[in-house]
Amino acid sequence: MTGFTPDLLNRCIACGFCLPACPTYALTKDETSSPRGRIDLMRALDEGILPADDPRVREEAAFCLGCRACETVCPAGVQYGDLLEEWRDQQWQGTGRPLVARLLMILVDARWRVRLLGLLRRHARTRGGPQGPSLMLGCFERALFPKVSRAARRLFPELAAPAAQGCCGALHAHNGDSARGRRMAEELGRRLPGTIVTTSGGCAAHLSSVLGRDRVKELSQYAYERDTPGGDPAETAGRPRIALQDSCHLRNGLDVWREPRAMLERVGTYVELPSAGTCCGAAGTYALVRPRDSRRVLDAKLDEIEAAGVDYVAVVNPGCYRQLDQGLRRRKSRVRAVHLAELLAGERPRRRAQ
Amino acid sequence: MPVKTTATGEPLDAATLRELRAIVGAEHVRHADGDVTPYARDATPLFRARPGAVVHPASTEEVAAVLRLAGARGIPVVPRGAGSNLCSATVPLEGGIVLVLTRLDRILEISAEELLAVSQPGVTSAALADAAAAHGLLYAPDPGSRSVATIGGTVATCAGGLRGLKYGVTRNYVLGLEAVLGTGEVIRTGGRLWKDVAGYDLTRLLTGSEGTLGVITEVTLALLPAPGTAGNGLAYFPTLADAGRAVTRVIAAGIVPATLEFLDARCVDAVEQHARLGLRRDAGALLIFGDDGEPAAVAQRLDRMAELCRDTGAIEVSVAGHAAESEALLAARRCTLPALSRLGSITILEDVGVPRPRIAEMVGHIDDIAGRHEVTIATFGHAGDGNLHPTCVIDKGDDEAAERAHLAFGEIFRTAMRLGGTITGEHGVGAAKLPYLTERLGAAQIDLQRRIKAAFDPAGILNPGKAGS
Repeated sequence: MTGFTPDLLNRCIACGFCLPACPTYALTKDETSSPRGRIDLMRALDEGILPADDPRVREEAAFCLGCRACETVCPAGVQYGDLLEEWRDQQWQGTGRPLVARLLMILVDARWRVRLLGLLRRHARTRGGPQGPSLMLGCFERALFPKVSRAARRLFPELAAPAAQGCCGALHAHNGDSARGRRMAEELGRRLPGTIVTTSGGCAAHLSSVLGRDRVKELSQYAYERDTPGGDPAETAGRPRIALQDSCHLRNGLDVWREPRAMLERVGTYVELPSAGTCCGAAGTYALVRPRDSRRVLDAKLDEIEAAGVDYVAVVNPGCYRQLDQGLRRRKSRVRAVHLAELLAGERPRRRAQ
Repeated sequence: MPVKTTATGEPLDAATLRELRAIVGAEHVRHADGDVTPYARDATPLFRARPGAVVHPASTEEVAAVLRLAGARGIPVVPRGAGSNLCSATVPLEGGIVLVLTRLDRILEISAEELLAVSQPGVTSAALADAAAAHGLLYAPDPGSRSVATIGGTVATCAGGLRGLKYGVTRNYVLGLEAVLGTGEVIRTGGRLWKDVAGYDLTRLLTGSEGTLGVITEVTLALLPAPGTAGNGLAYFPTLADAGRAVTRVIAAGIVPATLEFLDARCVDAVEQHARLGLRRDAGALLIFGDDGEPAAVAQRLDRMAELCRDTGAIEVSVAGHAAESEALLAARRCTLPALSRLGSITILEDVGVPRPRIAEMVGHIDDIAGRHEVTIATFGHAGDGNLHPTCVIDKGDDEAAERAHLAFGEIFRTAMRLGGTITGEHGVGAAKLPYLTERLGAAQIDLQRRIKAAFDPAGILNPGKAGS
């Protein structure tokens, strides 16, 4: 009766190798908040052992960050991200969906509304239909961080950036409407017919899953392949020390993590944080839907960033940008969050005074 | 052999829940259906039973209070770490309380002077080994599930692993324990001393007792100076039996290496799909041999083992270039079991042991038994210590295949025992091996084990339905 693909659900043999990779298990040390435990809940739903309105089942569908760190350590090859989408498709119908997610989804659902989001902000834009590769402007990034698309265009003037391109649908896919999420990605693919370059790791992963990996390039991949000039790596004097926050879906879904590091090496001294590859708690809408848990996930990371003695922490996803920027501001940290595109374009935001 | 679901999950009564909450705090007692469902199983396929409540204590005192309460009310208590065991040791067959020790997750001490560590039970085996390594020390037990498994759980199951031949298993490293008995009494056995013969060796008795005698709340572990270097080599053979013969020759030549792991072609294929190390998939078997110690001695022993493999008919032999390559190889090997699930949705893993010279013979018997029962069995194992993991892969819902696997394994156990071996080398008895335990130990020992259990746990509340019950 439920909408789980049997092959996806049967893949898990419950070995538990995913437990140490899961940020929410690290918080609770409770099996039920682990990937293996959540798959058990999905199975119980599937077999009718637990009803769809079981409070813990509902809670866990929302508590999961969806970072997919469990997939990278799973020897059995469980596609947890796909399972989570199917789970939320069932649990987050109508009023079952968190209110914030519902509002955001309405906001980005129509192209004109997405355009409106960026209307007053000075994000990159070009006229006319794209001939070659295009820059995806994103839905919220164009409003929250318009400077990122401007930096990307300065780096790669060949990228077309039409404002009326819409949203990629990742938001829908991760919030219980994967069918609509797919359709939105397909639409965007029709509107931007060539290679799509995106400054958002999360969008890159979603678009790739629908349009195929060949069509989509996350900015660090695009820059890496083009061998974009940067500073001289041998020159170390005065180079900023830069850490990175991986984008979970970029790293765990697309296995792209070497490229941003390689690019950062060109413009500064790269410092690997022990938790660079683990979720910062932004997790799409998570930071808005579950602010308290989101901060619990973030806190240890902020300690780490401050202890690392870096000037910048680079991000490759707008959600992480917002999360780290706010987190560092709250702490009055001197470390600045900055998008990889800005650093590559030569921008060096000043360290905040303490 | 359909899934063994026990009709439990009966909720505890309101008064008991209230008292549990008073002991550990309300948020650490969970009893709703959704809360307890994932605790119905561990990493063992085919065994499930829902507990009535899941309790997460944070101290020895809380554990003791829970056990006093449970003892007075006759409520079963099943201690659990990460639930990564492979013998259904933590499936609450008779319901009751699953007592999860993951909140007790501090390493209390690492002493380079005394070569020991003191740890709470919820620390993972890998975290403890990493902490020891930071002091230049080695925690030798190396179970495949080290990144997940807790120290408490590995002691309670006397976990083995990839270094058994040279370094022994968990029991060789447990110096002392703090444990809470079924009565709620707290005992401290052994201590910080290597030599200590005051009284019965209860440390060893509790090690491997699978939560049936007491709940382990603190562990003192022996450490070793970390070896200077480690290296591994690969040898491909036409058949697993050939690899088995090479192992016998290596040991007969007086070499006791840190690693002698073998995998048949199916296992190599599954591991390669997961880890993509560039392993050959056209040979019948792969032997990973390796050693640690001083660099010159390691290089010499690796060369000697390579030579012995060639002499025994290896198709190809190579020695890994550097430590990272070696570690990647072993990390991939640790994932063999879960990687095998790529062949089917249920993997039933077994864990027989035979005296080393009988390995090749046992491998032949396993093939023969699998053929007669028409089941797919992939075999890998710790060839150096005679511990084999024949693994049957079947599809979920195929009850007929499950039944055939059950019969095949029964025969495999009896064959192992006939060759002077055992029904479980390192995974434990749990509920999975209980039906074969009498055959292995004899009636007198089973009876003695019951009397021992009754002394530690007179109310019979600790992990009932398992060994000693």
